[in-house]
Amino acid sequence: MRKNHIKCSLIVLMCIAAVAGGSAFDENLKEVNFVIPKGWPKPVYNLNRNKPTTSGFMLGRKLFFDPMLSRDGSTSCASCHTQFSGFTHVDHNVSHGINGLKGTRNALVLFNLAWNKSFMWDGGVNNLEVQPLGPITSPVEMNNTLENIIKYLDTSINYKTRFYKTYGDSSVTGQRILKALAQFTCMFESYNSKYDKVMRKEQGVEFTTQELNGYKLFRKNCESCHKEPLFTDYSFKNIGLPVDSAYFDIGRMKITGDSGDSLKFKVPTLRNIEVSYPYMHDGRFRSLKQVLNHYSSGTVLSATVAKEMKDGMFFTENEKTDIIAFLLTLSDKEFLLDLRFRNYRD
Amino acid sequence: MFALSYICNALVVTACAKEKDSAFVTVRIYPVFDGMQLILDTENYTNEHGNLLTISLFRFYITHLKLHVTGTSDYVTPEGSHLIDAQDTTTCSFSFSVPLGTFDSVSFVTGVDSADNTSGANSGDLDPAKGMYWAWNSGYIMAKLEGNSAVCKTIHKAFEFHIGGYMPPYNAMRQVNLPLGETITIENGKRSTININADAARWFAHGLDLSVTNSVLIPGRAACEIADNYSGMFSISGSTP
Ligand code: HEC
Ligand code: HEC
Repeated sequence: MRKNHIKCSLIVLMCIAAVAGGSAFDENLKEVNFVIPKGWPKPVYNLNRNKPTTSGFMLGRKLFFDPMLSRDGSTSCASCHTQFSGFTHVDHNVSHGINGLKGTRNALVLFNLAWNKSFMWDGGVNNLEVQPLGPITSPVEMNNTLENIIKYLDTSINYKTRFYKTYGDSSVTGQRILKALAQFTCMFESYNSKYDKVMRKEQGVEFTTQELNGYKLFRKNCESCHKEPLFTDYSFKNIGLPVDSAYFDIGRMKITGDSGDSLKFKVPTLRNIEVSYPYMHDGRFRSLKQVLNHYSSGTVLSATVAKEMKDGMFFTENEKTDIIAFLLTLSDKEFLLDLRFRNYRD
Repeated sequence: MFALSYICNALVVTACAKEKDSAFVTVRIYPVFDGMQLILDTENYTNEHGNLLTISLFRFYITHLKLHVTGTSDYVTPEGSHLIDAQDTTTCSFSFSVPLGTFDSVSFVTGVDSADNTSGANSGDLDPAKGMYWAWNSGYIMAKLEGNSAVCKTIHKAFEFHIGGYMPPYNAMRQVNLPLGETITIENGKRSTININADAARWFAHGLDLSVTNSVLIPGRAACEIADNYSGMFSISGSTP
């Protein structure tokens, strides 16, 4: 009798879960449809092996916002990756996670991830699907294990229902958790900034004189690394930032062990740069003005510094203002406000 | 409707089994130290260099298994990657079906190939939840040996070898070829077993001294040297029949 009762309430709960999931879908989810914008290269991430579906996307979304994925229930992916800042840790030079412990690097923005050739500032991670293993297991981030997370998810009817809907049976595995997270994060796509609209020659959208001048300066000085349309060529470069002795971060060399890679970091995208401050791998600059001051006169010449820095660049104050005006055309409000990427306690 | 489809399925299965004659083979791995059954944590062992030690964890991947047909260059390749864990005997044997024939050697790889190292989240024994994956420098830990020795000047006098790396020049995958003492004939309806010893003592070959080398946790030259050592740890300890 009692057993039956429990069974009944389980079924009711499952229905509620299903209904809640359904309503969030209706209201907030346009189609889950990965787009390759016109003129962009082919994505690096193999979407055929993990094609985003509505249920997979929603499972990934729930995982992304769930602080129970951390050991003490305090930290979710979203704690360090907030949408309005392009999914970086806004206003934190280096991110902090569980117990307020600090990491050593500035969080990266998350969008257009399907084009990334590697992940992290040093490129140490080789596939979008395995990237969450870093934060999940790091003692200063979520300090957990995939095994523990599986145990937690296995006790939740809401989650079990979602695994069932997504994968055809309700068993929870590490692979399924990681693939669902990737289905959510690979859908963060930013291609509707003013810059994009100008390039697409959309009616009534044009650069101002200042933006256009900034664009010209950008193409001359910055394009070699921050390559259009993704605004990065995904290479690793040393741009002559003075080494911070507190962290002594050797960057790419940590992964390759090659001293020729010392102090090189991945060229970051500049899309949505207006909202993703502070800047650089350690978040040392708070403003774009400081970044341009660095490129114009602050570079330190060490053995592995990029050719562009050796050749040197110089900008007048007006030129700096123009370049910044151009960089601001890379903000994509449609992406930053996209309701599909919000947290729905569903 | 349900019953009908069930019957159809059953028909298909028997039909297939009839078409290709095959039988089951089991590979069973025996974790040992110097030929004696490995006992974790409590048993004291001495390595080649003379360090006294205990072993607490011993795990490795076996992939790309092949059974070689006697007198030819043909072989059969059962599917699957297998994570062997000395702590859990259920992981130490696995079975598969092979076509009938006579086989004279078995070969496999210790480790995980570069395709599986770069293709994202895999399933089964390759699931990253198995704890054999490096989070910050992507790739599988192909083999682990952990334990304690008084000569280690580390916390809890522990030694830890986590061996992996798929990028040249430091690829830690190793090919292993083992001639079966006597050929085995796979016949209809018969189950055959291939028994293989995995000798943890071989990790310490070439005089590895735990007071000097006690922590190898990243890909590189040191990892490859240990992979060279343990690639020699396998031997056939008998097959039936
Ligand atoms: C404590 C803060 C923190 C948490 C929690 C966190 N991240 Fe991050 N994330 C970072 C930092 C910092 C980096 C850059 C690290 C580096 O380069 O070393 C990063 C990088 C990334 C990247 C790489 C982006 C690129 O372009 O290379 C992805 C993807 C990512 N995080 C996704 C996630 C997911 C998914 C979760 C939840 C499972 C998560 N993060 C949890 C701080 C965090
Ligand atoms: C030689 C390649 C190269 C050139 C040329 C270059 N950059 Fe960069 N840029 C990088 C790298 C690498 C980083 C990250 C450096 C780090 O954190 O150590 C970076 C970082 C930045 C950042 C901070 C991004 C963030 O998310 O933190 C901005 C803004 C930026 N660059 C703008 C520019 C502008 C504007 C120009 C032209 C005036 C330019 N860059 C030229 C390679 C380059």
